[in-house]
Amino acid sequence: MKNYQLLTLLTLFLAFTSCSSDDDAPNLLEVESRTFSNLFAPQEGGIDPNSGQPLPVSGEFTKFDFTSGQITTSDTEWDVAFRGSAIIVNGGVSRGTEDEPERTGDAATYIVTAAFADVNTVDESLFLQDTAETYAIVTGSGNGWYTYNPANNTIAPTPGKVLVFRTRNNTYAKVEILSYYRDAPAEITPEIAANDSRYYTFNYVFNPNEGETTFNE
Amino acid sequence: MRINWYLTFVVFFLLSTKTYSQEERSEDAKPVITEELDEVIVTATRTIRQLSSLPLPVQLISKKDIASINSQRLDDLLEEQTGLITVPDFGGGEGIQLQGLDSQYTLILLDGVPLIGRSAGTLDLNRISVGNIKQIEVVKGASSSLYGSEALGGVINIITDTPKEGFNGKINQRVGSFGTYDTGLDLGYKKKKLGLNFFINRFSSDGFDLNSDDALRTVDPFSNYTLTAKANYDFSDKLSLKVSGRFFTQTQDFVASESLDGESDINEWNTHIRLKNEFNEKWESELEFYATRYKADEFLNEEDGLLFSESFFNQLMIRPEFRTTFQATENSTFIGGLGLTHETLERTDFSENPIFNSPYIYLQYDTNLNDKLNIILGARFDSHNRYESQFSPKTAIRYAIADNLFVKGSVGYGFKAPDFRQLYFNFTNATVGYTVLGYNAVPEAIADLEEQGQINTILVPLSEFEDELKPENSVAMNLGFDYKPISSVNLGINVFRNNINDLIDTRVVANKNNGQNVFSYYNVNEVYTQGLEFNASWKPNNQLKISGGYQLLYAKDKAAEEAFENGEVFARENPASPAFRLETDDYFGLFNRSRHMANFKVFYSFEKWKADVNMRATYRSRFGLIDTNFNNYLDAYDTFVDGYSIWDIAFNKTIQDAYQVGLGVDNIFGFTDTQNITNIPGRIIYGKLNINF
Repeated sequence: MKNYQLLTLLTLFLAFTSCSSDDDAPNLLEVESRTFSNLFAPQEGGIDPNSGQPLPVSGEFTKFDFTSGQITTSDTEWDVAFRGSAIIVNGGVSRGTEDEPERTGDAATYIVTAAFADVNTVDESLFLQDTAETYAIVTGSGNGWYTYNPANNTIAPTPGKVLVFRTRNNTYAKVEILSYYRDAPAEITPEIAANDSRYYTFNYVFNPNEGETTFNE
Repeated sequence: MRINWYLTFVVFFLLSTKTYSQEERSEDAKPVITEELDEVIVTATRTIRQLSSLPLPVQLISKKDIASINSQRLDDLLEEQTGLITVPDFGGGEGIQLQGLDSQYTLILLDGVPLIGRSAGTLDLNRISVGNIKQIEVVKGASSSLYGSEALGGVINIITDTPKEGFNGKINQRVGSFGTYDTGLDLGYKKKKLGLNFFINRFSSDGFDLNSDDALRTVDPFSNYTLTAKANYDFSDKLSLKVSGRFFTQTQDFVASESLDGESDINEWNTHIRLKNEFNEKWESELEFYATRYKADEFLNEEDGLLFSESFFNQLMIRPEFRTTFQATENSTFIGGLGLTHETLERTDFSENPIFNSPYIYLQYDTNLNDKLNIILGARFDSHNRYESQFSPKTAIRYAIADNLFVKGSVGYGFKAPDFRQLYFNFTNATVGYTVLGYNAVPEAIADLEEQGQINTILVPLSEFEDELKPENSVAMNLGFDYKPISSVNLGINVFRNNINDLIDTRVVANKNNGQNVFSYYNVNEVYTQGLEFNASWKPNNQLKISGGYQLLYAKDKAAEEAFENGEVFARENPASPAFRLETDDYFGLFNRSRHMANFKVFYSFEKWKADVNMRATYRSRFGLIDTNFNNYLDAYDTFVDGYSIWDIAFNKTIQDAYQVGLGVDNIFGFTDTQNITNIPGRIIYGKLNINF
C-alpha cells in the first residue's frame, strides 16, 4: 500500500515536471543583448562652415535592421535610420527632406527617461511615428536623444534617455545610445569633436519574438 | 600710454615741489580710537543709525579700510567682504553675488540713488572708482520695503565724501601690473554755509590675456574718466540744498575675432538735487530729484574697414521723491516717502522703445519699545504700467539678551521688475539663426515670423502671453546673534534663507524651419539660497586687528531637487559609458555657487613709524560653471572648477603727514584659472602715492 502511494506520488511528480517545460510558449527565441559600434551616419548640408547660414540637409540615411542586427541598404527591410543627429523610423510619413527614404513599414518609437536596465516592458500607448512635420524622435538639443554643448561644440547622448522601438516586424527593442563619436572615446577632444562625429555606438536589447513586449533575458 | 606717463610725472612733480600743508590732517595717520560705536549707516533705515544697533545684517567698509588695502575699484573692495564675491558675467563686467543671489538682485546705490545700465542684468562694478568714497554700506536681505525693485538680495550704498572745514585736497597716483594706472584729484572746500567737492579720476589698463591661443584678449585695453562735482549750501540751520553731478566715460577696444575689431564706449551721467528742511524738532522733509542716463555703444569693423555690426543701449531714469521724517517720541521715528520712477530705453533689437512709469509710496516705523527691544516695521507699494504692482512689507527686531549679547531677526519681501530685455527683446542671431523674444514682443513677432514662413511649429500657445510677466520675488529671512565676550572681540553669526519665486528663465516657444528655435522668457523657477555667515574680529590694541569671516551656502532649484527625488536624473561616468540613476545627494545646486567662502585679514600698524601693513586672504571652494555631463543639472559627477585662495599684502607709510606711499602685491601666488575664471588676471604688483593738502 505504502509503495503504491509512493509510486503514485512519483508518477504525479514526473507528470508535472515533464509537463512544465511544455507550458512555455513553444520555441521562444532568446532575447538578444548587443552593442553596435561606429554606425556611421554622414550628412551633407547643415550649417555652411563659411557663411554660417543653414543649408538644406541631404545625404543618404544609414539604415539599421534589428532582426539581422546589421546596417542595410534595403528600401524596405529596415527599422531605424540615422543621418547626422537625426533618427527616423520606418513608420509614418516622410518629412520630404532631400534623400529621405519613404516609410514602408509600421515601425514606431518613443523615448523613456530611465536607467537602461530598468526598461523591461513596452508601453504600446506611447509609440509615435514620423510625420510630415516632425520626427518621432524630435530633433534639437534636449528635445530628443542628445544634448548639444555649444562651449566645445559636442553632442552627447542625454543620460537616462532610452529609445524603445517597435520594428516593422512587430518585434520590440530598446536602445541606449552611448556615443556620437568614432570608437566611443572617454574624452572628446576638440580634434575628435571636429573630425570623428556622426559615429553612433549604442547598446540594445532585442526581443526577436513577434508581439513579445518584455526585455527580460 | 603717453598720457599715463604724463600723469605720473605730474604727480611726482607735485610731490617734489609741494610745500607743507596748512593743516594737520591725515585720517590714516591719526591714532584713531578703535571703538566702533561711532560708526553710523543710513542705508538700512534711511535714517542715521548706529551700525551696532541695527536689527538687520549689515556691513560697513570705511574709508580707512579702503585706503589701507589700496583698493581702486568697487569690485576689489567688495570681494574681500564675507559672503560677497564678484563674478564675471558673459555680458561683460563683474557683478556681485550676495547670499548666493546673482548680481542682478542686488541694488547698487550711489548716495542713496540707484545706478543704472544693466544691459545684461549685471551692473559692472569696475565702473565705480572708490577714490572719493566715505564709506560703503552693505545691507543683506530683501529691502524692497524701502527701495523697491532690485533690492531682492540686498542693497549696496556707496556714500561719497563730504568736505571738511577749509580748503583741502588729495592727489593720488597708483601704478600696477597689466599697465594699470589710476590717477585722481579730490578737492574739498567748506566755509560756513558752503561746501564744495570736486573729484576727477582717470583709470586705464592694458587689459590682460589668459589664453594666448586665440586672437582674443580676456580683457581688452580700456581707459575711463570719472568726474564728480558736489555742492552743499545751508540757507539756514534748517534749510539746506545739495546738488551733485557725476560723469563717467569709458573707451575700450572691442576685438571679436581675428578679422573683426572695433570699439565699445560707455557714457554715463547722473545728477542729484536734494532740498532738506527741518520744520521743527519733530518734522523734517527732503525733496529729491534724480536723473541719470547710461549709454553704451559698440561697433565692429571688418578687416577692410567696412562696418560689420553696431549696437547701442541708451537708458534714462528720472526719479523725483519726497520724504518726511517724523520723530513721534524720543524712541520712535516714522519715515515716509512717495515718488515716481520714469524709465526709457532705446536699444538695438528691441520691438519698441519702452517707457516705464512707476509711482511708489513707502512708510517705515522704527521704535525702541524699551532699552532692550528695537522694532522696525515698514512697507512699500510700487505701482507699474507694465507689470503687476508690488506690495513689499518688512519687519525687523533686535533684542538685547544681555549687555554683550544681542539677537536680531528680520523678514522681508523683495522683488525685481522684469527688465526691458525680458519684455521687449526681438533678436535673431545672424550666424546661427535662433531668435530671442521678450515676453511682450512674442505675439506680434511670432505673427511676423509666421507670415515670412519661418515658423515650423508653435510649441507654446500665444494665449499664454496675454497675462503680464510677473516680477521675480522673494521672501528673505535672517536671524543672527552679536556677541562681545570681551571688549576686544566681536562675534557675529547670521542664518539666512531666501525663497525666490517666479524666477524668469527662457524656454523654446516655437521651432523654426531652419532647425533653430524661438526662445522667450517666462516665470518658472523657484529657488532658494540658505546658509550661515560668521564674522569674528579681535582687536587687542590699537596696533593689531585680526578678522575672519565664513559663509556656508546652499543654493538650489526646487524643481531640480524634485527631479532628483523622483529619480528622473541620470549621469554617465564618462561620455561613452552607460547611464545610471543619480541619488538625491548627488544634486549640488545652482551654478557658480561655492559651498564655502572665507576670508582672513590681519592689519598691523607701527604707530612710531606712521606705517601699517596688512595681509588678506580670501578662499572660495569648488563650484560648477557648466553642466559637463549633459543632464541639465549640476551634480556630483560634473566637472567642477577647483577651489582657490587669493592672498594679498599691502604696506603703507605716511611721510610728514601729507604723503602716503603704498606698495603691495595682490594675488601673491599668481593664481589664475585660464579656462574658467576670467576676472583674475594673476599677480598684481603696485605702488601708490597720495598727497594730501
